[in-house]
Parts: sequence; structure tokens; C-alpha cells
Amino acid sequence: MNQLGFPILSLVLWLPALGALALIAIPRMGDATSRRVALACAMLTFLVSLVLPFNFESAPAQIMMVGAPPVMQFTESLPWLPTFGISYSLGLDGVSLWLVMLATFLGPIVVLSTWDSVHKQPRMFLALLLLLQTAMTGVFLAQDLLLFYIFWEFTLIPMTFLIGIWGGANRVYAARKFFLYTFAGSVLMLLAIIGMYVIHRGQIAQVDPSFRGTLDFGRIVSDLRQGNLQLSTTAERLLFGAFFLAFAVKVPLWPFHTWLPDAHVEAPTAGSVILAGVLLKLGSYGMIRFNLTLFPEASRWAAPAIGVLAVIGIIYGAAVAFAQTDMKKLVAYSSVSHMGFIVLGIFALNAEGVSGAILQSINHGLSTGALFLVVGVLYERRHTRELSAYGGIWKVMPVYAGLTLLIVLSSAGLPGLNGFIGEFTIMQGAFRSDYLGWIFVAFAVVGVVLAAAYLFKFYRAVFMGEVNEPANANLPDLSRRELATLVILAVPIVAIGLFPGILFGGMQHSVADVINGLTAVVAGR
Amino acid sequence: MELIIWLILLLPFIGFLLNVFFIRNERVAGILASAMVGASFVLTLVAVANLAGMPAESRRVQSVAWEWINTGGFRVPFGIMFDPLTAVMALLVTGVGALIHVYSIGYMHGDSRVVRYFAYLNLFITMMLFLVMANNLLLLFLGWEGVGLCSFLLIGFWFERKSASEAAVKAFVVNRIGDAAFILAMMAIYANFGTLNFYTVEYGGAVQEGFLNRMGEIIGLTFGPEWWQIGIATGISFMLLIGATGKSAQFPLFVWLPDAMAGPTPVSALIHAATMVTGGVYLMARTEPIFALSAATQTWVVWIGTLTAFIAATAALTQWDIKRVLAYSTVSQLGFMVAACGMGAYVAAIFHLLTHGIFKALLFLGSGSVIHGTHETQDMRKMGGLRKAMPTTFWTYMVGSFALAGIFPFAGFWSKDEIIGHAWFHNYLPAFFVLFATSLLTAFYMGRQVALVFYGDQRDRTYHAHESGQVMRLPLIALAVGAVLAGAINLPYLHWLTDWLQPVLNEEAVTWGVGNYVLAIIATLAAAAMMYTGWWVYTRNTNRVKVGGKDPAYRYSGDIWDGMSEAWYLDAFYNRVVVGGFKRTADFAARVLDPRGVDGVVTGIGRVFGALGVGVGRTQSGYVRTYALVFTVGVVIVLGFLAFAR
Repeated sequence: MNQLGFPILSLVLWLPALGALALIAIPRMGDATSRRVALACAMLTFLVSLVLPFNFESAPAQIMMVGAPPVMQFTESLPWLPTFGISYSLGLDGVSLWLVMLATFLGPIVVLSTWDSVHKQPRMFLALLLLLQTAMTGVFLAQDLLLFYIFWEFTLIPMTFLIGIWGGANRVYAARKFFLYTFAGSVLMLLAIIGMYVIHRGQIAQVDPSFRGTLDFGRIVSDLRQGNLQLSTTAERLLFGAFFLAFAVKVPLWPFHTWLPDAHVEAPTAGSVILAGVLLKLGSYGMIRFNLTLFPEASRWAAPAIGVLAVIGIIYGAAVAFAQTDMKKLVAYSSVSHMGFIVLGIFALNAEGVSGAILQSINHGLSTGALFLVVGVLYERRHTRELSAYGGIWKVMPVYAGLTLLIVLSSAGLPGLNGFIGEFTIMQGAFRSDYLGWIFVAFAVVGVVLAAAYLFKFYRAVFMGEVNEPANANLPDLSRRELATLVILAVPIVAIGLFPGILFGGMQHSVADVINGLTAVVAGR
Repeated sequence: MELIIWLILLLPFIGFLLNVFFIRNERVAGILASAMVGASFVLTLVAVANLAGMPAESRRVQSVAWEWINTGGFRVPFGIMFDPLTAVMALLVTGVGALIHVYSIGYMHGDSRVVRYFAYLNLFITMMLFLVMANNLLLLFLGWEGVGLCSFLLIGFWFERKSASEAAVKAFVVNRIGDAAFILAMMAIYANFGTLNFYTVEYGGAVQEGFLNRMGEIIGLTFGPEWWQIGIATGISFMLLIGATGKSAQFPLFVWLPDAMAGPTPVSALIHAATMVTGGVYLMARTEPIFALSAATQTWVVWIGTLTAFIAATAALTQWDIKRVLAYSTVSQLGFMVAACGMGAYVAAIFHLLTHGIFKALLFLGSGSVIHGTHETQDMRKMGGLRKAMPTTFWTYMVGSFALAGIFPFAGFWSKDEIIGHAWFHNYLPAFFVLFATSLLTAFYMGRQVALVFYGDQRDRTYHAHESGQVMRLPLIALAVGAVLAGAINLPYLHWLTDWLQPVLNEEAVTWGVGNYVLAIIATLAAAAMMYTGWWVYTRNTNRVKVGGKDPAYRYSGDIWDGMSEAWYLDAFYNRVVVGGFKRTADFAARVLDPRGVDGVVTGIGRVFGALGVGVGRTQSGYVRTYALVFTVGVVIVLGFLAFAR
């Protein structure tokens, strides 16, 4: 069935769900036990997922043929609704490899972060977290459009509850907004999936009357690339638009971003980390996997316009972040800015841009996830996130201040740390892109300046100056658990900054496939 | 050799790691940090000796540790190099750096965070060495931003002070503006040459080309709209120039440097005088072939440098803070170097960079000694007559002042004379006159400073002035010797430095004629006269200098004096217009535009669609399940339509 002869992807996918099941099903489990169970389950998942990069073939043996679909590894497939050509099929390639790893890596960290912060029904909370992890991993792994859609929608439910039940004062509003925005986007995507299915079945059935239709991603792509499936320009652009809207809301791309600050501010720390760390990446992943691969012509057509939105998002997000006085809102808007970079890279439509975007998705997950943890550390001690409530924390909590500085620098794109490599590669891609160009970068680079402005505004307000409030004078420095979570995040932040080749190497082949797909179709027409 | 040059970099870095993670003892930290940089200096000497043993045209060692970035197309090695230009920079960084480390042991004694201080200093040296040793622009940029980070950490070292934390953030953010331009320049270089390596390098069994010797490929290429075509070379070099104006504190981005004096004084000496701020000059010298292609940029370079030199000198003239005089003086001298680059006199720029690095470090350390000996006094109005209490500081300070003023035979005379001479003999006459006037101002404000600090009587008697200890005096003496002798490295007729840099910068030594002698004599006599005048005016009027009072010259110049002391209100302009404007815009976006405008429109569109489907009343119910139901029903309808329409 695959190179390991073992359904490794299913294991990685369903282990967290099993953990969740155990948490729900076993009666009268104490809070402490349930925490340990959840942590063990998340760590086990991560350990199992380590098999993936070590066995991943960065240059798979199958020779890339014109018209072949992307090469998936560790594949497994079971028929599910054979009459509609729907199957349970999973696969992994260079685009999704590191995103899956990001999800499994953040899993235990997020579970750890709930230790002291979640007191209301921690068992339910953890169960939802684990379910969410399964759903997100499923999005990255699914190779069937319906399966993908189911996982995609399923991420909504646990997240909505996490915000709606364990959130702050305005949690119901935020949860509803989160749900509506993303759901509105995904409904369009469902329409597009159905449309794709109908068109595909119609066209293939003309040649092969016995064909009953399929939602298998690889099959559709190969039919597209071989010219068996041809979309009219209008149809392609409409389908592209429907997929794109769903992903743009998720990313979120300006102007669809307004759900994000509300969701972040109300969400508990763990929810924010997962939201910024992995959930947003579902959007950027979707753009690469579906928009670029399925609709090459429309991608090229829309690239400049999307580039403009991305650049607006970069500058706008940064400016609004600068004006915030609530730390979480500041970080949330910084996400809007950073995710703008990722979209810019994707729609540069070249290898640099797309590789940079994938790398930056990982980087953003690490750095912004860490930033939310950093905010959480203070929030748990003082129960406020107002910048003006703090000052001089460097003196009171030196270890915490040092680690925070590293994370801030990573987010600000300091060379030697991960964020810089991603941003630079993206901008390099956009600069050389046939569809964007230097003018886009000239504006995007403003975001780099502003990132320093808002991040250091935050750092100065909280950590520098005199200790201005007596309540801050005796704050304890990081507990061992907090220290562990931040240090674990700091390791890849430094490692990727110095050795990004580890990540780039794995994704190269798949990125080349996406880019070739974009141009091969041009040649075919 | 490859091992040696890596060790030069790694030793301070090891010092940094040890100081961060293991050492908790002040004394050990200082000694370890100094020893690491000292060892690195010795290794640099060894490497230079090795380099000198090679034939002139092959004096370049490159070493690639690993492939840093490889995305298929875009490839950058993590590699360093050692060539004549790098060598002189590395000597300056490690040599002056080691002395300042030793001095810091005395200066920082008793501070509560000394270990951290030495860790930062070691990290700074590492990053500065990356800057000058990188074999490609991207790694240079790592050092470039790294020194910026250390500058932030060290300016903000006493982060409890408001002025320090503000200055630290300001330095970082202002530098970022230059960095953004630097990033654009790198991208343009990569887009046109397909590499960021300076020179051709071989690693991993393959040869990667460099861009510096392939300038022919971009001659005549342009970009931009049809009605405004810009040469690629002009675009790239102009972006590099903006990058340099940030780091090297040039107009219009010099505003961060005077504020940066909030850091400990040895930091000002090391980072904000001798090494980091010269990064921009080094960058321009290294990428000189690009600048050579663009006459337009070169003119900009000359005038930015010249203007900066003049503005900063007028500002230095009017300061009361002993360190701010030196800070503006540094900006002014960097202007000389930049102007020299613009005139194509790169060797003169590097020469001045080296001598300035020595004598300005001396002056800063001297001012540190004064501050230390007067119990944290920085206001020169409170000083006076200190030559009796601190003889070593006084004499070494005098040496530094002569060197800065450009008086024969001190180091500054030789290097400044080369720049001014080049301006005169290569027909940059307007720039020449401004620079010459600036050098007279320089002599004058040094005379003023020396008079205010060391002559007359102590005006504020609330403290007891004392000389600094041995560990601080020795570096002063060592640097004073350097400030006397450093001119020897590029004397007329001998021109060692020109010959040494010839393989990199391709400049021929100037043959001295009568004109050079006349100019040199006029320059040194004028400088001596102006310095004497400055000294004379302020010793004569010493009784009119009052604590908190106005300068004696204020009566004659009035508001002009105020304008000069605020560096022509550039900072105020930025605060009001740029920063203020940005803050208002950002506030508007955050409080009004985003919650009402963008959110409102997007939500509104959503509502309209909802209303079309089932009517306004039902959608306003607020129940998620209602919304979900509406959507699902809609989906089913469309689905059915698609399925049965065929």
C-alpha cells in the first residue's frame, strides 16, 4: 500500500481522536488524570509522526511525467461510497509534510499550556483539543475532496466550542462570528466541490460511459493535466473564486480578517495557539493544494489582484497592530500582516514564493503560537492584557523576558531566526514573479519596518521601564512547565533560521510539481 | 587558514554562550569576554600574516560551512571570507573591541547586570565580524541586523530609564527603514545576477558565481514605467545607499545616534563610534562596482555625506552633554567617509574609518573616564578644570582631540586630508568647501569641549573628581598611541593601505605634488587656529558658563543656536509629522475603520445575502443553528439544481 506497508497516516490522524474518546468515555476520570492522558496521547502522536519526515523521500522514485498528479507518499485508500467515487484516501507530499508535523508538534505544547489556565471542565476542553487536532491533520492528509471537506468543516465545531464555552466575557459573540465567517466561506467551497464533480463526471462520461464520477483528488488533477477535463474560462474562474473565498476567510486575507481579532481576544490561550498556529494554515495550504493545482489559468489571472489584497493586509494589519493596547489584539493583527506575506508568496506562482510561503506557514505557527503563550503567561499572573498595566517586567522575570525577546525577534524577521528566511524567500519570489513584481515587494517591505515598530512597542511597554505597578513587583518567573513549552518552541525557531534546508529539502519536489503544473497547462493549450 | 577565520568569529560567540548560560560571576565574565576578543584579535593578526604571504591577486580565502538557503532556484551559502578589506575591518573590530572590553571591566564594575553586559558585547563582536567577513550579502545582512540587535540591547541596557528604552527602540526601528531598502537591493541583485555572493566561490563540488565582477551584465538595463526609466544599477545602488544611511547614521536617518548615547559609554565607543556605524561605509566600499556604474547615485552619496557632515558639526558645536558632542561629531565624521565613497575615494574612506575608529573610541572612553570620575556627570557646564584631577584622561583626551581636529601629525590629519584633497583635485569643489568648513567647525568644537571640560575651574563643586583606575587608563593610553601613529598606515609616498586594498578596491596611490603640500599645510594651520580659537573663547568666557545657563555664543546667534542644537529640528519634524501622522492613521484604522468600516461592510454583505434568502427577521435571531440551517438549506437547493438541471 505504501513505502512502510503500514497505515501510518491513519495512525497519526486518529490517535488524538482516540484520546478524545477515552477522555469522554471513561467515567469519573479526575482532572489531573485526564490532563496526563491527553498529554500522553498528544506526545505519542508526535512521536509516531516523527516516522514521517525520516521516511519521507524528498525525491520520490516515480519520475515526474507530464500530466501526472502530485506524487503522494504513505498513501492509503479504502472505498467509502463507491457509487459516487468517494473514498477514504490519505496521502502526504512536500506541501503537507511540515504542516502535519507542525500540528503534531504543537499538540503537546497546547495541552501543556492548559495545565494552569483551564479550570472549567478540563476534561471536555482537552477532548475538544484532541478532536480538533484530528480534524486539522485530516485536512492536510485527505486526498478525496469530500473527505477533505468533512475534515475542513469538522475543525469548526471544536474550535467554536472552545471559544464559546471557555472564552472571555464576549465569547458567544466571538464564537458566532468565527463560525459564521468561516462557514459562509466553506459553503461556497462545497458548491465548488460539487460543481467540480458534476463537470468532471459529465466530461469523462462522454468518453467512458461507464464512468460514475469521482472526488479523488489525484484522478481529477491528472485528468486536468492531460486535458481530459477542460474547464471553460468562466467555470474555472468561478470555481477558483469559490475555493479561494473559503481559504481567504480562513487565512485570513484582508478584508475578511475581522473575525480573527475577536476570536483571539475571547479564546483561551490554548485556543489562540491552535488558531494562529495551525488553523490559519488550513487556508494557505488550501490555496496551494486546490487553487494553484486545480485552476492554473485562473490563478495566473487572479494573482495580481490577490497580491494587492495581500500587500494591503500586510501594511494594514501592521498599522492596526501598532495602535492596539491589548496584547492579544496586537498579536492577532500581526497575524493578519504575516499571513499577508504568505498569500503574497503563494501567488508569486514560482518556486521561491511557494516554498517561502510553506516555510513561513510553519514559522508563523511557531512564532505566533509562542507569542500567544507569552501573553498567556502574563495573563495568568495578572488577569489583564492591557499594555499599560505592565512595565519593567525584564527586571522581575528575566528568563521570561529573554525568551520573549527571542520570539519577538523571530516574529520581526531577524536574520538567523526562522521568520527572516520565510519572509525573504517570499519577497524574493514576489520580486521575480511574472505576475507580481518589485512594486509589490516595495510595499510589502514596509510591513517589515512596521513589524519592528509594533513588536518593539509591545516589548518596550511590557518589559522595559520601571516597575510601575506594585502588583508586578513580585511576579514569579517562568514555572518549569512554562519554561519547557517556550524552550521547546525556541529550538525550531533557531534551528530553522540557521538550517532551513531541512525543511526546504523536503518540499522542493512537490513545489516544483505545483509550479510545473501551472505552466504545463499553458503549454498544453 | 579556513579554521583560523572561523575561529575568529566563533571565539566571541563562545564567550557569549558561556556568559549567557553558565557564568554568574562579574569578574569571570569580564575576563572571559575580554580574553575571547583578545584571542580573536591575535588570530586576526595571524590570518593577516597568512594573507600577506599570498600573491596579491589571490588574497582571498573563502570558506562555506553549509548551504544556508536552497529552494531549488534561490541558493545562498553560509560562508565567510577573508580578504584585504575584511582584514583591516576585522583588525579594527577585534583590536579596538578588545581594549574596550578591558576598559569595561573597570567602567561597569558594581553594576547589577555586568555578566549580561559582557554577553551582549561578545555577541556584538560576533555579529560585527559576520558583517565584515560574510562572503555574500545575505549573511552580511545577518551581521548587519545582529549588530542592530546588540545595539538595541546595549542602548537599552539600563532599560529602567525611560530615555534608554526609548532610544533603544528608536535606534532599532529607524535602522529598520534602512534595512528595508537593503532587502530590496538584495532582491534586485538576486533577480539580475542570480546570486548574492560577492565573489565566485566553490563549495559542495560546484562553482557558484559572484556578482561583483559581472557588473557588465546590467549596464544599460532599466526598469520602471515608460515615462520614468531608471537604470538598474542606479536602483540597486540607491537602495544600498539608503541602507547605509540607516546604519551609518547619515541624513536623513541619523536621528537615532545622538539618542543612543543613553547606553553605557564603552558601548558608545565600540558600537556608536568605532565599529557598527561604519558598517554602511564598509558596505559601500564592498559593493563599490555597483556604485561605480551610477553617476546619479554617486552624486547623491557625495551630497548626503557632505550635508550630514555639516549639519552634525553645527549640532556638535552647540551641545552641553559631553557625549552628545562626540555623538554628533561621529555623525559628522561618518559624513566625511560617505562623501569620500561618493567621490570614488574608497581607500580614503576606509583610511578615515580606521583612524576615526581609534581616536573616536579614545575620545569616548575618555569621556567615560570623565563621567566615571565626576560621579555620572555628563553636563559640561558642571565640569571645568578637570585636567588637574585626571591627568591621564586629560592628556589622552588631548591626543584624541588633536587627531579629530586634523592637526599634524596625528592620525586624523592624514585621513581627513586625503578626503579633502580628493575633493579638491577631482573637482568636487562645492563639496570641498562645505567639507573644509566642516573640518574647521570640528576643530572649533573640540577646542570648546576641551576648554569646558578640562580648563578653568570646576563649576559644580558638589562632587569630588578623581582619576579612573588602572584598568581604564591602560586602554586610554593604548588608544592614544594609536591615535598618534595610525596615520602611518597610509602616509604619502608609502601608501601601505592603498597597496594593501588594491586587489579589492583597485585604486592607485596619489602622487603628491606641490598642491597637496599647500593644501595640507593650509588645512592643518587652519585647524590649529580654529581649535585654539575655540579653546580661547571658552576659557576666556568661562565665568559666563553657568549650570543650566546658555552658551556665551548664544547672545550673538540667538535662535540659530537653538536650531543647530536640535540638529535643525529634523527629529522634531519626524516626531510631529511622520510618527505622529502614522500614529493617528493607525489609531483611526484600529478604532474606526476596522471595527466599523471593514467589519461592517463584510458583515453587511453577508447579511444582505442572508436577507435575500429567508428574510431579515429570522437571520437576526443570533442562533448559530439557525444560520447553519439556512446555509444547509441553501446548499441543498443549489445541489438539487445542479443535479437535476442537466
